[in-house]
Amino acid sequence: MGMTLSSSPYSYSILQERLPLMSRVPLLEMNQVRKVFGQNVALDDVSLQLHSNEILGLLGGNGAGKTTIMNILYGLYKPDAGEICLRGEKVSINSPRDAIELGIGMVHQHFLQIESFTVMQNIILGTRSSSLPGDQRNGEKERITTMARRFDMDIDPDSVLEALPMGARQKVEILKALYRGARLLILDEPTTNLTPQEVDSLFKSLRVMVEEGMSVIFITHKLREVLEAGDRITVLRSGQNVITTEISKATEESLVKAMVGEDLDVSKSVIFSQKDVQQTAASTEVGPILEVRDLRVNNDERQLAISDCSFQVHSGEILGIAGVAGNGQRELVESLLAIRPRLSGEISYQDRPTIDEDTRSLIEAGVAYIPEDRWSDGFLPTANVAQNLILGYHRTPTFGSGGLLDWKAVFSTTRTLIDEYNVKTAGPDELAANLSGGNIQRLMIARVFSQPIELLIAHNPTRGLDIPSTEGVYSKLLDAKDKGLATLLVSENLDELMLLCDRIATIYRGSLVGILPRDRFDKYVIGRMMSGVQSYE
Amino acid sequence: MSDQHSTNTARQALARFTPYLLAIIASFAAAGIFIAAMGFNVFEAYETILFTSFRTQNGFIQTLLKFAPLLLQALAFTIPLTAGKFNIGGEGQLIVGAIGATAVGILFTDLPAVLLLPMVLLGGVIAGALWAAIPAWLLYRFNINEILTTVLMNFISFSLIDYVATEIWRDATAGHPTTIPIGSGGELPLIISKPPLHVGVLLVILVAVAVQFYTSRTASGYEMIVTGANPRASQVFGIPVKRMFLMSLVLGGVLAGLSGALEVSGVHHRLIEGLQSNFLLLGIIIGLIAKGDSKTVPFVAFFIAVLEVGASALQRTMMVPVEMVFIIEALVLLFVLLSDVVRRR
Amino acid sequence: MEQFGVQLVNFSKLVLLAIVPYVLASQGTMLGGRTGIFNVAQEGIMLVGASIGFLGAYLFDSLTIGITLALLTGALFGLALAYFTSTLKMNQFVIGLALFFTGLGLSTLLYKFVVGITLQPPLIPTLKAVKIPLLSEIPILGPILFAQNWLVYIAILLSLALYYLLYRTRFGLDLRSVGENPKAADSLGVNVPRMQYISTIAGGALMGVAGAYLPMVYTGTFTEGIVHGRGWIAIALTFFGGWSPLLILAGSLFFAGIDVLALRVQVGGYGIPYQFLLTLPHLATILMMTLAFKWVRVPSFLGQNYDRESRTLT
Repeated sequence: MGMTLSSSPYSYSILQERLPLMSRVPLLEMNQVRKVFGQNVALDDVSLQLHSNEILGLLGGNGAGKTTIMNILYGLYKPDAGEICLRGEKVSINSPRDAIELGIGMVHQHFLQIESFTVMQNIILGTRSSSLPGDQRNGEKERITTMARRFDMDIDPDSVLEALPMGARQKVEILKALYRGARLLILDEPTTNLTPQEVDSLFKSLRVMVEEGMSVIFITHKLREVLEAGDRITVLRSGQNVITTEISKATEESLVKAMVGEDLDVSKSVIFSQKDVQQTAASTEVGPILEVRDLRVNNDERQLAISDCSFQVHSGEILGIAGVAGNGQRELVESLLAIRPRLSGEISYQDRPTIDEDTRSLIEAGVAYIPEDRWSDGFLPTANVAQNLILGYHRTPTFGSGGLLDWKAVFSTTRTLIDEYNVKTAGPDELAANLSGGNIQRLMIARVFSQPIELLIAHNPTRGLDIPSTEGVYSKLLDAKDKGLATLLVSENLDELMLLCDRIATIYRGSLVGILPRDRFDKYVIGRMMSGVQSYE
Repeated sequence: MSDQHSTNTARQALARFTPYLLAIIASFAAAGIFIAAMGFNVFEAYETILFTSFRTQNGFIQTLLKFAPLLLQALAFTIPLTAGKFNIGGEGQLIVGAIGATAVGILFTDLPAVLLLPMVLLGGVIAGALWAAIPAWLLYRFNINEILTTVLMNFISFSLIDYVATEIWRDATAGHPTTIPIGSGGELPLIISKPPLHVGVLLVILVAVAVQFYTSRTASGYEMIVTGANPRASQVFGIPVKRMFLMSLVLGGVLAGLSGALEVSGVHHRLIEGLQSNFLLLGIIIGLIAKGDSKTVPFVAFFIAVLEVGASALQRTMMVPVEMVFIIEALVLLFVLLSDVVRRR
Repeated sequence: MEQFGVQLVNFSKLVLLAIVPYVLASQGTMLGGRTGIFNVAQEGIMLVGASIGFLGAYLFDSLTIGITLALLTGALFGLALAYFTSTLKMNQFVIGLALFFTGLGLSTLLYKFVVGITLQPPLIPTLKAVKIPLLSEIPILGPILFAQNWLVYIAILLSLALYYLLYRTRFGLDLRSVGENPKAADSLGVNVPRMQYISTIAGGALMGVAGAYLPMVYTGTFTEGIVHGRGWIAIALTFFGGWSPLLILAGSLFFAGIDVLALRVQVGGYGIPYQFLLTLPHLATILMMTLAFKWVRVPSFLGQNYDRESRTLT
């Protein structure tokens, strides 16, 4: 191992020097690190330590500051205060280049890859060896293949990134770091796009790496994963240290308390409740609210993204769609809302075929949408809070008539909703770009539930939310369900689906491979369906 | 509550006004160095630039006559900008609007003013709208970048006006490509006859008020604003984004076409090659200085009109090239833009 | 028949002469775009390049000095664009437009300041053809390809060199990565602002030379309308050439061909109004955009600013 890696272009890394007494001095210390974005204190004097040959789990809800502190370690963010020491030596890291030269590698949650480049080009980008002319690169190619095999990754260096599945693209990310001679590997929410089986195999690879002398920081908001893969755990909450503990000494309960804090009554929480949510018998006698038959839809590249997809959603039920990201979820949801044209198939909403409907009339008829990517699909950064809140509903009689807008009514409704949904903002006329991610999502939720709706289509509604906010979304969804709302919940978070749904359909390469009722939910069965290994009737 | 609201508005107005004042001072200071370096008396030059408009009635009327087309050109730029589209074709739309107005004015030359005047104005508006509709449709149908097409349409309009003024309705007695005059019924009435000031100036102010009402009070105006703020999100929430793009560009063409019609009907009473002056560039500069805000545009337009009239006087009296004022205008724009960056930090 | 052959050779020769401004301005646009910076100030930079190039040649009696001054001025405009967009993160189109105005105003101002208003505009000599020994003796191809002025050779060689640079070197790989996904490039140690500055300054310099070429090859004089939309057409050409150096070179033949054709027909006087011929390049450009733009691949991050600490970018 040492041989392969020390021949990397960055062989002068401090991390590779084998100092005596290395167990005494931590490999990495970050002390009193502080980072402020605008008025938002993202990190408030956070400290952490990493020892050699260990996996440190960095645990916390969204917005806890986990990614921020790791972006600082990797040179992407400049800290406002604090110091970083490697093997006891103070270092300054001003750019990713500095981090790479110090032997630090980072795998980001959203892969930082150039889709039109090949695996090889993505890996060698920015390194000195990329200056080699074509024929001499063959040596590099072999090196990459060997390195990949060593960690059980089978990958063709010449394939173009956009053609690869998510699992393979993550391997490319790890290879990028290893190729640069990383001895300290940061993984940011690495399991987001993986099936349960792939998660197991990732953890195995990490263990191999640690045994061969590397150290790993593993960012996650999933408690179980960190208990399974980590050696030690540091918990962050709202940009502050809470606890650091050995895995052996940690209990699930103490970690939950640490993550959540006092803001949430764990005993009443949906997320941490021990008792199961009751499956409601969907009211089948009135017929489904939404019925989809043999749907076929293209993606942006005009390739078939959804084929032969059929399902029903009834009043008072939550139907989940499970699947690894990029299996057609986006195209499915967008075709249901008539944002994306369908090739064939039928969609009927309340027994009415929607073939001629446009998005506006569907929204007016009571179809509500919480988009997956709220920044690009749901949010107007340069408009104010009130303008954001009425998007899609600006032509309803509440907000004006005769083609005119009644701003007084809009503002007073906005004020009510700001209070009800606990949106932290200066008021209806504050610029929306000033809001934090969690508050923007609350705005999206408030927008939807402020209207009389019959069908809710929610795509990853809790992505990026902290635990109390997630909790808020869950209880709102369950409440609305009790009042008869039909919900289609598309999520890449299997735990979320298993917690909330009455039935779960699994999508794989654009087809539904089976629908399970609540009493037959099984993580590994669904995992196999997600990877196309098993289908289920 | 309302008290707090009004102090808030006052503070916002102040916050909006201050960067402009600083930008103007800074750019005059910077341009002053330039003027001094060229060997002119800075204070005398600035006095001429700033006060020519206000010293004589003639100066003020000249300023208003500049103000009208500049305001329309600026709005023709900022309305599409509200929807996130760049209309760099106001010049072509003005020219073709002027051609349309002239054509109507010549073809129906004997009609009485009650009929001919509205027809001339409408002819200009429709011609401008159609000229803008070409790039708008290319954007709508083929997704062709509007910056390039609108600007290329300007060059085509240069040839068109030349053809009309030298081949179709050429006035053989003029030394410069010019058409014969339109019927007298097509001329705009005057508010003041000596020096002449036509009622178009009032019409333009009404248009600016209407535009402001449209963007701030109507559902359609709201849709245009949100389309500009985030087209993707707007589409997801049922707003016909492509139609808004199309509409915003055509609306820009309407205003630019009107500015052409006013030049013909109010000022020249005929088509003259070059009547577009540098209104497009100034219009865009005004729109950018106002940061696309239709409330601010009229004030900036008036300020730029003052500078332009002052600069012409400067060239007459002190022989400073009229393009000098361009440097000042560019600097004002630059400093206004920079003030945003400063505030962001 | 023989006469037709001679005409064809002549025509081809003129086309190559006319590609230079298109190739230079378009490669300049491509360079900036490959790092995500979309320059829309071509028309203004070319105008100021034409003005300064002309004045330099006129005052110092040397075309080379004129071209060098135009190159430096263009580079300065590129530097301004890079500073306002890459460093200050200001809107690229707005800054581009502002630079376009500045170029436009400056070109006339400088000319008036130096030359003044005269009845008889001053003249500069035009670029001379440099015959390449032996090669220019080849029948047909010789006179077309190897008896041109030196900027024609430069434009062609530059296109080939840019292709090599972008697709065959590490620097090119790094440069292209910035326009595709600057965050990825940054996270791998590529210096994003440095790449943007280099490409935008070099791009501006090329546009400056593209402008200076115009008074030096056709009229020997400077007029306000000398660029006549070529800067905007160069943007279209860049899209048309798929932001790739060799295709841009090929595409420039089309636009230069239209230029020459319009000129020829005008001189020949076939009864077509000259106004129509004058506007032929612009009509052709709009047509090409409509027909060809659907298939074109553009750099993914074109026109956007990269902010390392921005949290909205994923």
